[in-house]
Amino acid sequence: SVRASLLVLFVFQQREEKQLETAVESLISRVAHVKNALSSFIYKLENEYERLTWPSVLDNFALLSGQLNTINKLLRNEKTPAFRSQVIIPLLLSPDRDEDLAKLTEQRVPVFSHEIVPDHLRTKPDPEVEEQEKQLSAEAVRIGPELAQKHIQALNKLCSNLLEKLNNPREDREGDASAVRQNKASFNPTDTSALVAAVAFGKGLSKCRPPGPVAPGHPGQGPMMSGGPTLQQVTIGGGSNQQAGMGGPGAPQQQGQPGKMPSSIKTNIKSASGSIHPYNR
Amino acid sequence: MEAPPVTVMPVTGGAINMMEYLLQGSVLDQALESLLHRLRGLCDNMEPETFTDHELVYLLKGQQGNPFILRARRSLSHPTSPWHLRYLGQPEVGDKSRHALVRNCVDVAASQSLPEFLNEMGFRMDHEFVASGHIFRKGAMKVVVSKVSRILVPGNTENTERMSLSYLVELSILAPAGQDTVSEDMRSFAEQLKPLIHLEKIDPSKQRH
Repeated sequence: SVRASLLVLFVFQQREEKQLETAVESLISRVAHVKNALSSFIYKLENEYERLTWPSVLDNFALLSGQLNTINKLLRNEKTPAFRSQVIIPLLLSPDRDEDLAKLTEQRVPVFSHEIVPDHLRTKPDPEVEEQEKQLSAEAVRIGPELAQKHIQALNKLCSNLLEKLNNPREDREGDASAVRQNKASFNPTDTSALVAAVAFGKGLSKCRPPGPVAPGHPGQGPMMSGGPTLQQVTIGGGSNQQAGMGGPGAPQQQGQPGKMPSSIKTNIKSASGSIHPYNR
Repeated sequence: MEAPPVTVMPVTGGAINMMEYLLQGSVLDQALESLLHRLRGLCDNMEPETFTDHELVYLLKGQQGNPFILRARRSLSHPTSPWHLRYLGQPEVGDKSRHALVRNCVDVAASQSLPEFLNEMGFRMDHEFVASGHIFRKGAMKVVVSKVSRILVPGNTENTERMSLSYLVELSILAPAGQDTVSEDMRSFAEQLKPLIHLEKIDPSKQRH
């Protein structure tokens, strides 16, 4: 019966070993997925940051968090043996370069030596972290239990307040919306038109000369002059008389420039009430 | 004296054939703070910039009868800065596929003798106004929120009167001709300012009446 029980133990051990192996394998493949996602994300951040949009950054984060969740689930699975109870012992340390190891670790760990083994097989936190933890616990001891209790209560109160706010965002938002509604419109289309017209062609602005024949603003935009009694268009043949043509249209200055090629000046006087606008031609 | 260069399209081709893409809107005084707050959040992180400008609009009546318009601007808050001379072409608003008004635009810096120079060339001032407000940038986009005031006594920029109880809001981009994709960016930016303000492609000729 001793033999039988030994055999059972052996079979049991074998099964456990196999379980461990499969668990480690699937863990390795999951970690490889995370690693790939991380490296492609880092590549994007470093090389495509100009084109990277916020939604795609969020997508990357979502992918990573999903993969980490799967790993967590795997570790919590009943069939997964407790890795915590497994002990890893370095059997052979060597200062020489190990090509297999380098290949396995993507050139990150080329030698399995005394120097690096304590780091890689470490089960305690890093020395700096340990130091910080020590400081924190020292401080925690220094604070009396009463004070600590007070702190805890204050923090709890803050957290519950914050949670309440986060859970009821709708009410606040609706409050805002109703406030906006109370304020009515924040803009007035009539004002928009008036301002646009003012900067585009000075509508409503003080004119520097009486509204007359010269059409202000953009040309060819339909008949816009209803004011002036006469419209007059001056065409100048010679360049020398342009000043006359530019002059105030109310005063026929072209006649005030005697002796300068009067024959080349052609003056048309039309009635403004006519439907034909000279600038439309 | 040489004949003035009177033509409707003075600059075509070459390196300075720039187009201005423009969306316009306005905001009531009481909503101004909310708008500025939102713009500070949306736009590039920079020092808030304010300005007070005096714009003089000059006309030159051409042989074809189409007046030629130049806009001269000077800063009242920085009197030593150069003047700014701007030509704006005919606005193109008909194209439905474009989300913004598009017009030819030429900007030139000028010295303080610009008004005399324009007068000598035969230009006459048509109207003037004072615009003061805030400038924001987001990439190539420029957002100007300004109060427009009429000048009561010609030439006296101290004596002004508000045009309306709203601030004019203009979203613009300067881009080489044909880069219509920028109007997409402008539209999505304008979307983010709703419902506070509505920035639209406004045909100025329709506002004439």
